[in-house]
Amino acid sequence: MPDQALRQRAPLEALARPGRFGATSAAAGVMLSEIRDRGLASVAARKNQRAALLAAAKSAFGCGLPTRPRRAFGRDGLSFVWAGPDQWVAMLDHGPVGGIEPRLAASLKGLASVVDQSDGRAVVRIGGARARAALAKGMPIDLHERAFTPGDAALTFFSHINVHIWQVDETPTYEIAVPRSFVGSFWHWLTEASAEFGYEATGSNSSA
Amino acid sequence: MRIPCPYCGERGNAEYAYLGDAGVSRPQTPLGAALEGATLDAWMNYVYLRDNPAGAHRELWYHASGCRAWLIVTRNVSTHEILNVEAANGAIRDGRVGAL
Amino acid sequence: MVDAASNKPARAAAEFAPVRQTAAAPSAASPYRLATGGIVDRSAPLLFSFDGRNYGGLRGDTLASALLANGVRLVGRSFKYHRPRGILAAGSEEPNALVELREGARREPNTRATVAELYEGLAAVSQNRWPSLWFDCMAVNSLFSPIIGAGFYYKTFMWPASFWEKLYEPMIRRAAGLGRAAGMPDPDTYEKAFAHCDVLVIGSGPAGLMAALAAGRAGARVILCDEDFEFGGRLLAECRDIDGRPCAQWAGSLLAELASLPEVRMLKRTTVFGAYDHGVYAAIERVADHLATPSPHMPRQRVWNIVAKRTVLAAGAIERPLVFGNNDRPGVMLGGAVRAYLNRFAVKPGTRAVVFANNDDAVATLLDLAAAGISVQACVDPRGADAGVVRAAAQRIGTRFVNGAVVRARGGHRLRAVDVSAVAEPWHKLTFPCDLLAMSGGWSPSVHLSSHLGGRPQWSDALAAFVPGPLPRGMSVAGAAAGEFGLAACLAGGAKAGAEAAGDCGFAAKPVAMPGIGPEPIGIAALWRVRAKRGKAFVDFQNDVTVSDIELAEREGFRAVEHLKRYTTLGMATDQGKTANVNGLAIMAELTEKTIPATGATRFRPPYTPVAIGALAGHHRRKDFKPTRLTPGHAWAQEQGAVFMETGLWLRAQYFPQPGDNSWLDACNREVTATRNAVGVCDVSTLGKIDLQGTDAGLFLDRLYANAMSSLPVGRARYGLMLREDGFVLDDGTVSRLAEDHFFVTTTTANAARVMQHMDFCHQVLWPDLDVQFVSVSDQWAQYSLAGPKAREVLQKLVDGQHDISNTAFPYMAAGEVTVGGGVPARLFRISFSGELAYEISVPARFGDAVIRAVVAAGAPLGIRPYGLEALSVMRIEKGHVGGAEINGQTTARDLGLERMVSSKKDFIGRVMAGRPALLAPDRPAFVGFKSVGDGAIGAGAHFLPVGAEPSARNDEGHVTSVAYSPTLGHLVGLGLLKGGSKRLGEKMRAYDPLRGRDTLIEVCSPVFYDPEGARLRA
Ligand SMILES: [Zn+2]
Repeated sequence: MPDQALRQRAPLEALARPGRFGATSAAAGVMLSEIRDRGLASVAARKNQRAALLAAAKSAFGCGLPTRPRRAFGRDGLSFVWAGPDQWVAMLDHGPVGGIEPRLAASLKGLASVVDQSDGRAVVRIGGARARAALAKGMPIDLHERAFTPGDAALTFFSHINVHIWQVDETPTYEIAVPRSFVGSFWHWLTEASAEFGYEATGSNSSA
Repeated sequence: MRIPCPYCGERGNAEYAYLGDAGVSRPQTPLGAALEGATLDAWMNYVYLRDNPAGAHRELWYHASGCRAWLIVTRNVSTHEILNVEAANGAIRDGRVGAL
Repeated sequence: MVDAASNKPARAAAEFAPVRQTAAAPSAASPYRLATGGIVDRSAPLLFSFDGRNYGGLRGDTLASALLANGVRLVGRSFKYHRPRGILAAGSEEPNALVELREGARREPNTRATVAELYEGLAAVSQNRWPSLWFDCMAVNSLFSPIIGAGFYYKTFMWPASFWEKLYEPMIRRAAGLGRAAGMPDPDTYEKAFAHCDVLVIGSGPAGLMAALAAGRAGARVILCDEDFEFGGRLLAECRDIDGRPCAQWAGSLLAELASLPEVRMLKRTTVFGAYDHGVYAAIERVADHLATPSPHMPRQRVWNIVAKRTVLAAGAIERPLVFGNNDRPGVMLGGAVRAYLNRFAVKPGTRAVVFANNDDAVATLLDLAAAGISVQACVDPRGADAGVVRAAAQRIGTRFVNGAVVRARGGHRLRAVDVSAVAEPWHKLTFPCDLLAMSGGWSPSVHLSSHLGGRPQWSDALAAFVPGPLPRGMSVAGAAAGEFGLAACLAGGAKAGAEAAGDCGFAAKPVAMPGIGPEPIGIAALWRVRAKRGKAFVDFQNDVTVSDIELAEREGFRAVEHLKRYTTLGMATDQGKTANVNGLAIMAELTEKTIPATGATRFRPPYTPVAIGALAGHHRRKDFKPTRLTPGHAWAQEQGAVFMETGLWLRAQYFPQPGDNSWLDACNREVTATRNAVGVCDVSTLGKIDLQGTDAGLFLDRLYANAMSSLPVGRARYGLMLREDGFVLDDGTVSRLAEDHFFVTTTTANAARVMQHMDFCHQVLWPDLDVQFVSVSDQWAQYSLAGPKAREVLQKLVDGQHDISNTAFPYMAAGEVTVGGGVPARLFRISFSGELAYEISVPARFGDAVIRAVVAAGAPLGIRPYGLEALSVMRIEKGHVGGAEINGQTTARDLGLERMVSSKKDFIGRVMAGRPALLAPDRPAFVGFKSVGDGAIGAGAHFLPVGAEPSARNDEGHVTSVAYSPTLGHLVGLGLLKGGSKRLGEKMRAYDPLRGRDTLIEVCSPVFYDPEGARLRA
């Protein structure tokens, strides 16, 4: 083994250069960053274990698993986003590598299948006054405040790439989980879409 | 076209993949049975033959860019009016659509 | 979209237009510009050029209005006869005034001068003339018109067929073509965007404005689109009062209120061009067409995909020309366009005018012309007593009223006079000198979008027009588009439609107060053509279709409306017959003595106006046509100088060239040799990877794969073959069992998404009662294949010491979890595609870059080389593994020599149909290997022919699927599908490849060229 420890690389490490880009006539309309310290895992209910799973999650993590496209927050930086019928993406803020799967699996054994996806998705945070307008250039769903509010989530696409989006706050700020291999194209299209409004990129952003 | 996914809500057809007639069911054939007569007909029907009615039609759609659910969409194929949408697994389990 | 509604006034004598203050003195720079009035900005002069000459215009002009302001009347030549043409209209319906706009790579042909917004430096040239607009050699076509009438292409150039492509078509195209495309890559960007609303309002004339206001005030989310660069529609073009204010000013205050409503989005320069199912509309926004070049970060155009719960179509109406001899002379203009040029652009389109109309619209035209100081020589109206209001208006401005019709226009490059035949004295021809004829044949509601989903427009005798028929769900129509001719009707209709639409979306609308409007006669009597002997009478200006063409079509039996259209090309030009269709249809009805409804109505299809393909593509062009997927090791491979190739969406290293290589083959041979002799490493992260769990996961896999998987022990991997239900092979890959209820499955790179969808289908539709959950982990894991006799040695340097990966502890087809680099979780699979001792190692993607670097560093002393797809392919051919060329959708497990894998002890997808007799026929092409025994080259696709046989389909015995030079064996190795398959080992055949002109002798052999005993992979 070479003496150097294996270096981790975030999906957007080489791409998301910090700085102010695009139109500069006004304040940046879009803020972009990558969340690099969050653990992710797919959670799927075992057959006929849905009710038991919901109950177990409630007691173990302090929150119910949402049964419609929403995000629910539990204790200790854990949250769950609906990801399809009887499926969720669990997220752990500041999660250590490989930390989320054992933590969930221990409590949900026999009730759910848990798969680490911390490396499978890049999580991009997009916010700002023009975030909706930028996203509208690639995402077909309605993000208007009457249709989509903080805590709401959706599985959809952005410019031909399947993504998972949820709203964080009313700024509005959103987080978008993108399959890691697509993140270069995703970033390219997202920044093209944001350029008209001027965007500010910061390399990484803390997950909480 | 807009199709209301029972899980995700109404979405554009760009999110869906189309398979076709939901009215066929997979024949059950014992191991070693000869592939002839009614058995062969049933399989040819299941694999190749599809009804193509003008009017209401039950079709399989896949929410490929969404929740990955297979749906049974009842659609008037002449007007594109969507008459009903339900999850395929529920419909099949309840015996409303044939499979296996 | 222009709302024509307010355009049907017949003012009672007492409330005629407000008295103009204009004395209509032309300004020095633009001799036909009025000194006051209009909504052009006289403080913003703009320079532009047309056919190389410089002119001045104003901000707020279109190219057409600016040309008219400069006295330019001749702007183009017609499509077929090269007749001189001027400006007919003032909106997007313009058939004549098509120009090439901009220069160089931005040159855009067939741009309508009537909608091209003027900007500083605009450069336009006329089209379809040679050598110049004024002297056009091709105008001689006019003399041959008897032979190039309707059906000309079909009749004349039928024989011989080969002449069509080589001679006739190029000749005709050169003689008749319109503008020239730039022929260079477009330097601008285009984009697409999605929008959602409660109420979409299409058109911002009086009806559209009221609809938007009613819905907007109620709180609904409204999108208001107009194709013009100013909102207001006909309110900008007419000289009317609303609530005692000029109508344009009244519109301004409405627009200000709309702009203040937070949920109202106003999109000008935006044409809604298509209506689709379930409230989906497509619109094109010309974001930067009014600029010389788009500002930085702005697209040139943007295509909107709008999802609307309700839609109010308030697209106005389009005025029809009258059909008489030489009705295409420059200076013959639609009456509504004349008023638009006078009132909106403050431009005099002529100095001496004649007005010719069959409807009360003439009143406004007469009054506006007189107010602008243009002398009106005559007012011609075919109606008798019904024309009372028109007669009164003519009297009021001191113009002679003639009850009759214009039979012919005179003049060449510009109108000089019109010949009029009066009803009272048809034998006595009157001639009125003039340079402007303002004509009106009535108005056709813009029903286009109402019929995009198939609803046929309905004929209204009272209006002499088609009105919308059955509407798409969610759409209502208001104003002139609904046949509500008259300003008051438009305002009321729009308000009502807007309120109802908002109400349907759950927003209660209060009634909008109706402004005061005077009475408005809107009488019309149809006049579809003036019967006259002299001069071509054009129906479709853009495609040069005349009354004689329609008569010819009728005589030859092309009477149905769809036949008429195709035979004469009526309505098939870029304007889709906006000004022509109704006249053409009505003339056919007259000729066949049928009613118009019995003759038919053409339905419209998107797009309403031409849309550039580039705009529809948006950002998705060239390398951005589709997304690109990169592996975690991509940056490393780039550093190594890898040449990449596209496989599906992925970029994969094809080979790693080095200085001194003569070709890719040198690199490939080096990589194969290094792997066979020492060790190689290949990035296989692109494989589809699926994590499966659940108590029924094994059972599920049994049903999915042709071979058994439930019998796989924990800690072992197995090659798997998946069939389609029709019995043909779908995909292959590996299945590893990580725990009793936990599997890890790989698919080929190409089929990953398809297999996932198939698995979802099997789980949800076929076997919903199984306890199995699966999810794609393709992106979670970086995966590398280490192959070669020294693979284990390299691996041992990477894997943490507590894991025993010796041949005994971790034998061939073992699978398990290990850690690398001091605790990084990894999965190790002892599987081999190359035939060597080989492993695939997976690490979380964030370590993918570091691990490939660590592998290469650890292997360097042992001679490790990265290898790409070429070497991978050579090694799998040497080893006789099937790949994508063999799993081609037409081969069964049996064809591929894999029948031993197919279980007979369980049900699985494809089991039954794979047993069809035809798929078991002994002469089906089956998998073989072959060696070259000739000296020619062989490529995939070559056909197997018996030696001495004629090359014919009958003698065809199969084909070559894969072939490569084996650096290991020193000769070509090939795989193919041959009738009879392995029964023919040792036979000599021809590999016949007429496409590449090759024909080589081969000998059939076993497909496994290398290490047939498999000793190396078990080493
Ligand atoms: Zn869905």
